[in-house]
Amino acid sequence: MRWLPAFVSALCATGTLAAKKSTEQRFNEFHTKSLASTPVKLLDANYRELTSTPRDYTAAILLTALDARFGCQLCREFQPEWDLLSKSWIKGDKAGESRLVLATLDFSDGREIFMSLGLQTAPVLFLFPPTTGPHAAASPEPIRYDFVNGPQSAEQIHAWLSRHLPDRPHPPVKRPINWIKWIFTTVMLSGTVTAAVVAWPYVLPIIQNRNVWAAISLISILLFTSGHMFNRIRGVPYVSGDGRGGISYFASGFQNQYGMETQIVAAMYGVLSFAAIALTIKVPRIADPKAQSVAVLAWGGALFLMYSFLLSIFRVKNAGYPFALPPFM
Amino acid sequence: MRSLVSFVLLLLVAVVSAISTTGNRLLVVLDDVAEKEGYSKFLGDLESRGLTLSIETPKSESLSLFHLGERAYDHVILFPTKAKGLGPSLTANILLQFLGANGNILLTLSSGSATPSALVSLLAELDIQLPADRTGLVVDHFNYDSASAPDTHDVLLLPPPGPLRSDIKDIFSAGAPADQLIAFPHGVGAALGAGELLSPILRAPRTAYSYNPKEQSEAVVDDLFAAGEQLSLVSTFQARNSARFTLVGAAELFQDKWFDAEVKKTGGKAVKTFNQEFAKRVSGWTFQEIGVLRVNWIEHHLNEVGASNESNPKIYRIKNDVTYTISLSEWSWTAWNAFSVPKNDALQLEFSMLSPFHRLPLRLNAKQSTAEQAAYTSSFKLPDQHGIFNFKVNYKRPFLTNIEEKNTVSVRHMAHDEWPRSFVISGAWPWIAGIGATVTGWLAFCALWMYSAPVGGKKESKKTQ
Amino acid sequence: MSADTLQVLASAGKGESTRTILRFIILSLIAGAAIASRLFSVIRKCPLSAGSQLLSWQSRPSRRGQLSGLLRLSAFWAALLTAASFQVSRALFTNVGSPSLSQSCARAERQSRMVADNPLVDPWFNFRATKYLVANGFYKFWDWFDDRTWHPLGRVTGGTLYPGLMVTSGAIYHALRALTIPVDIRNICVLLAPAFSGLTAFAAYLLTNEMTPSPSAGLLAAIFMGIAPGYISRSVAGSYDNEAIAIFLLVFTFFLWIRALKQGSMLWGVLCALFYGYMVASWGGYAFITCLLPLHAFVLICMGRYSTRLYVAYTTWYALGTLASMQIPFVGFLPVKTSEHMPALGIFGFLQLLAFLDYVRSAIPSRQFQTFLWLFAGGTFGLGLAALVVATSAGFIAPWSGRFYSLWDTGYAKIHIPIIASVSEHQPTAWPAFFFDLNMLIWLFPAGVYLCFQNLADEHVFIVVYALFGSYFAGVMVRLMLTLTPVVCVAAAISASSLLDTYLNVKSPNAEEHPADDNTDGKKSGKTGLKSTSKPVVGIYGWLSKGTVAGAMTVYLLLFVMHCTWVTSNAYSSPSVVLASRMPDGSQHIIDDYREAYQWLRQNTKEDAKIMSWWDYGYQIGGMADRPTLVDNNTWNNTHIATVGKAMSSREEVSYPIMRQHEVDYVLVVFGGLLGYSGDDINKFLWMVRIAEGIWPDEVKEREFFTPRGEYRVDGEATETMKNSLMYKMSYYNYNSLFPPGQAQDRVRQSRLPEVGPSLSTIEEAFTSENWIIRIYKVKDLDNFGRDHASAAAFDRGLKKKKAAKKRGPRQLRVD
Repeated sequence: MRWLPAFVSALCATGTLAAKKSTEQRFNEFHTKSLASTPVKLLDANYRELTSTPRDYTAAILLTALDARFGCQLCREFQPEWDLLSKSWIKGDKAGESRLVLATLDFSDGREIFMSLGLQTAPVLFLFPPTTGPHAAASPEPIRYDFVNGPQSAEQIHAWLSRHLPDRPHPPVKRPINWIKWIFTTVMLSGTVTAAVVAWPYVLPIIQNRNVWAAISLISILLFTSGHMFNRIRGVPYVSGDGRGGISYFASGFQNQYGMETQIVAAMYGVLSFAAIALTIKVPRIADPKAQSVAVLAWGGALFLMYSFLLSIFRVKNAGYPFALPPFM
Repeated sequence: MRSLVSFVLLLLVAVVSAISTTGNRLLVVLDDVAEKEGYSKFLGDLESRGLTLSIETPKSESLSLFHLGERAYDHVILFPTKAKGLGPSLTANILLQFLGANGNILLTLSSGSATPSALVSLLAELDIQLPADRTGLVVDHFNYDSASAPDTHDVLLLPPPGPLRSDIKDIFSAGAPADQLIAFPHGVGAALGAGELLSPILRAPRTAYSYNPKEQSEAVVDDLFAAGEQLSLVSTFQARNSARFTLVGAAELFQDKWFDAEVKKTGGKAVKTFNQEFAKRVSGWTFQEIGVLRVNWIEHHLNEVGASNESNPKIYRIKNDVTYTISLSEWSWTAWNAFSVPKNDALQLEFSMLSPFHRLPLRLNAKQSTAEQAAYTSSFKLPDQHGIFNFKVNYKRPFLTNIEEKNTVSVRHMAHDEWPRSFVISGAWPWIAGIGATVTGWLAFCALWMYSAPVGGKKESKKTQ
Repeated sequence: MSADTLQVLASAGKGESTRTILRFIILSLIAGAAIASRLFSVIRKCPLSAGSQLLSWQSRPSRRGQLSGLLRLSAFWAALLTAASFQVSRALFTNVGSPSLSQSCARAERQSRMVADNPLVDPWFNFRATKYLVANGFYKFWDWFDDRTWHPLGRVTGGTLYPGLMVTSGAIYHALRALTIPVDIRNICVLLAPAFSGLTAFAAYLLTNEMTPSPSAGLLAAIFMGIAPGYISRSVAGSYDNEAIAIFLLVFTFFLWIRALKQGSMLWGVLCALFYGYMVASWGGYAFITCLLPLHAFVLICMGRYSTRLYVAYTTWYALGTLASMQIPFVGFLPVKTSEHMPALGIFGFLQLLAFLDYVRSAIPSRQFQTFLWLFAGGTFGLGLAALVVATSAGFIAPWSGRFYSLWDTGYAKIHIPIIASVSEHQPTAWPAFFFDLNMLIWLFPAGVYLCFQNLADEHVFIVVYALFGSYFAGVMVRLMLTLTPVVCVAAAISASSLLDTYLNVKSPNAEEHPADDNTDGKKSGKTGLKSTSKPVVGIYGWLSKGTVAGAMTVYLLLFVMHCTWVTSNAYSSPSVVLASRMPDGSQHIIDDYREAYQWLRQNTKEDAKIMSWWDYGYQIGGMADRPTLVDNNTWNNTHIATVGKAMSSREEVSYPIMRQHEVDYVLVVFGGLLGYSGDDINKFLWMVRIAEGIWPDEVKEREFFTPRGEYRVDGEATETMKNSLMYKMSYYNYNSLFPPGQAQDRVRQSRLPEVGPSLSTIEEAFTSENWIIRIYKVKDLDNFGRDHASAAAFDRGLKKKKAAKKRGPRQLRVD
């Protein structure tokens, strides 16, 4: 009768809803599966089987919702990273020394599991520590990895796993070389070089043109001095609605601003300095006295108006700023 | 030198003032004053050791351990009382305060009377458990006094206890005649917690157990409070401030009739009890008359040739050689003696910042030690790490005063002019040579440049002609 | 007024010598004005006896008298000169108008307001260091091991600070002593920054004069530099900080560089190198120069403007300057090992190569050979770049230091170095801050840069480059507004002066002759120049246009002066240690909790009691309370700070061993809930958590301090981790005893606190200041009877201990 257990185990290994099997068998079975295709795609049944105690292996299970109709952007962004991680882990650990099974449970396959776990959000990464064996953890409860700040890279997850799997092999993440990218970049590079060589005589005057450089530098200065970097770093909204359904272009508070706001301010600075430039350079070169005085009045007026408007806006930002110019008192 | 003088003065003061190092005012709390006759020998013994006794009963109004916030007594003996409560002046809180104020307490129980609740909660705070309903009797069917308790088996006979561990001095039964036995009559056994402040003096024999005499004897096995070695008959607790507390399970152990009683084991010959000497030592230890350590002085200095050897400087430099010396004395009954570390034990010095960088044995320094004090010293090289370090001696042993001495010094980095000069380092010679070469080359070039006549001038002159 | 007097006055302004003298007087006046405008804070704060911004300057009526006297004097002179100069000549008009008014306006009544967000505390350390220097001499200072900070690590202070500031004031102190002028070192420290601001104005004058022939530009630049709030913010009396002298050194080094570059003179190059060395000794911001000068050189090379002048100036500066900078122990070998110094080195090598090629080209006239050579040059440059990259990746060269790198990759600090991101000065700048700090200059600035393009000489290229990078850095970090201000002043001065020069020209052109010859000039100036300058200059006809523009300009300048005065009085001259607030009835209310608490520490704790607090308060505790601290504002050891963060953010049972290990005696927390003081520790708490999480990611988790809905709350909804954290307990301990039951209210977080407040067992309240802003707790010793603190506290509260048998099932047996 010594063929019976083998037969039974073979039966079980076929992965129909299996009776209670020893943790060893379960690990081997899932490991063979993951060797075939990793991460193992789970269903309700074998999720329960995989996470059932006692277990002497670790199970890292990603509960995700890839289907488009759930609209889980983060899930879809993270999935390739997860696949990459599991692939490189299994490739690096064919023998299964780390005794880690990486698996994925999609919401469409494991609705009940999500319900039972009371998960509102996806994706969630659970790490089920072993309950028996040398690395047995105190509690069978899974450790949860939260995707607090955006999609994580495979390396980050790898670091997290390695932290929780001490003194076990941690196969490093191997990113496949992106041949397409390389070829593309090389082609582009050579293309640009040739284009540059060909177009050099035409481009040269543009590069050497002082006006171009003046424009570039002025524009960038205006951008920076109007708090463009603040927007970049803080990622402030472009505009935001005030309470009454309208749009408020100017954020309240001295330390805050909107994207639109900075552009308006930059434009005002631009007008002001251009008026100053015109008054300094252009106007004296107008030969006709009438035209000149008209220009003077026009630019001077523009300058004055714009400055008073700027002051009024600054009063909005900084309550109690005492100074103002007509007409925007 | 000054430290030595002050130490001698201290010694004199100690001799004239009291026999105990912490004072000689002893409060004896009895159920009623008449009972003191039973303990006359013991109390007389205490008086003869220079303690001034004042006998009180728990009920008396005048009884109070504190007067104007100061200790009114230095030591307290509590004899068992019939009363369920000890009254307002002896609550667990007050007793703990008394210990906190360096007072010492000798507490005796007896199986005859239930322990008052105040004492039970006090013991609970010290992590000492008594049998459940505050009454328990320790019996032993093998080591009992066949003379007085032939059938109750509740007078235990024990040999004088040896040292608790091999590295601890035996101060309770040293020099006891081998044949003498301690009689422990009608006592209560306590179970000690695992705290390191607790240590048992006298343990029950392996065959002893504690049970509740009011219940049927067959109920013993069901809820056995404790048995064998776990059953501590005389236990001590030394608080961190070295205030001492002793729990004696059997008050009768101190009674005259057991001091000079003849006891005989079954099959043994009648021998005299060891009780009187034992009581003397237990009370002596509790009242800080033996096993008291004192740090006389601590000195550390730079131990390098040519360096100033000023004592206890505030700051050292990394990799300095320093010497640390600590002087210890032990008080035994009447005088301060040089403290000698037990042979299996070691007195250690830690040099630590956040964690010890060095842990070194302190060796006896014969030169600096006298009959009254022993100087232990250790010399070592400071670690290669600057910071604020502590010389730390942390010597805490059962039955000995806790010693925790911490001297803070700063260890500074190398100053800019304490490194070896470049020309001393052989590895730097190539570079120095390189510098020299560059300088000479530059000078040569300059010279060449300045003293070579300009050629252009001549050519032109030729052309012009 | 009549025409002849006008002639007379104008002629008075004509003579060259007179004008120079006048200009000198005006310059000194501007410097005086700049200094004086920074002393208001001192004078004003004397009644509060709070001193100026930081160092308290005890008020003696005599000194106050003389200060305000000096003030009125300068104001009077300035006003007088203005009155005269309005008629004299255009240069003078533009020069004196503003400073005089700055004085007269500045004397207006002021009010101060809470400056909560940036506790400027470095001066406390600098002052302490200076005292040490003066007391123990230079070599002791050089080898100073400070064992009262960073307990128990200590700090090798002599080797980890920029000694320039302390040495400067020490030198001044000894010089005055040598002149038998007995002066307290503290007064020197308080007045150093204003004094140097005067020099800065002068340096700005020199730098601008290098840029433009117009005589008035320099003086205008000096005025702007003197009163621009962006610079006043760091140079008011008592802001005894590195920047106080560093900005002067920055501007002056730039002036010397330009001078050396224009003349190609080695002498000026040497001077530049020397001042660069001084700068390195004074401020970590020297890296700005180290990168800007090579960049300028590189741009010039790319513009094909390589010249021997450039070669001489740059090589002199680099060789000597690098040697000088390496003399500072804190800098040491960084100039040859770290990336931020590599551009300078690379350009140095590249210049050698170019010089060589230049020589070869002059020797060998073959065309192909030249092209080959140029390719060769480019190739070497590329190779050098590649080598740099390789060396960096291989680790021979240290990568960018985090603080510096975070300027380029702005997201970097937030992820990797929270300790840097947590500093309020390192936040990006919103546009109101720009306008607040340099009001009209902000739009004169681009105009000036544009004018620099008119005739693009080497120095103008420098201005353009400086302007671009300065504005970028200032946009990324509030603090670097300081490095932007000089170039803004210079550029704005250029544009303003040329504007005024144009419109204050007394003689008008007559309309006849111009139409004839303009087209001829049109051909002459063309291609290379700016399009706008293709036509010839005619001049301004008619008084109307002149009058309008001049008048408008005057209005703007006056507005600017008033703005500066207002900003200075409001924002930059109220001490951050003493908070002044307004009562409903308008009277001023002084909140002096900090000094109260520090005084308490000084008087009620042991000399060597270790105080644990968040690092923001380290210098203050060291300076005012004179007690050892665990961490302070010199954040050199991130792990140690993280340890404090962990102790603050974990449960008592976890924190207590940490505090015991570090021998902490007292814990100090800042709590603004009662007063609505927003700069308190609960608001900084997340940074503590983050920094601790960086080191112990498994023990401290930021997420656990947020409610499931991702909010940061302190009321009943707060998470258990939050409620059990030591910081929370210390902040709200006994707080609800101030309110009727259930009414406890946190006025900063605007939230109602739970009914029962937290309870403490391992530490006990020692002190709470008047407005509860500062709370100090004493760390308990181990329990005398070997119990854990919780049960001991329970017993003291009267609860009897449970029976041991019930407490833990089977009793563990004694083994000994």
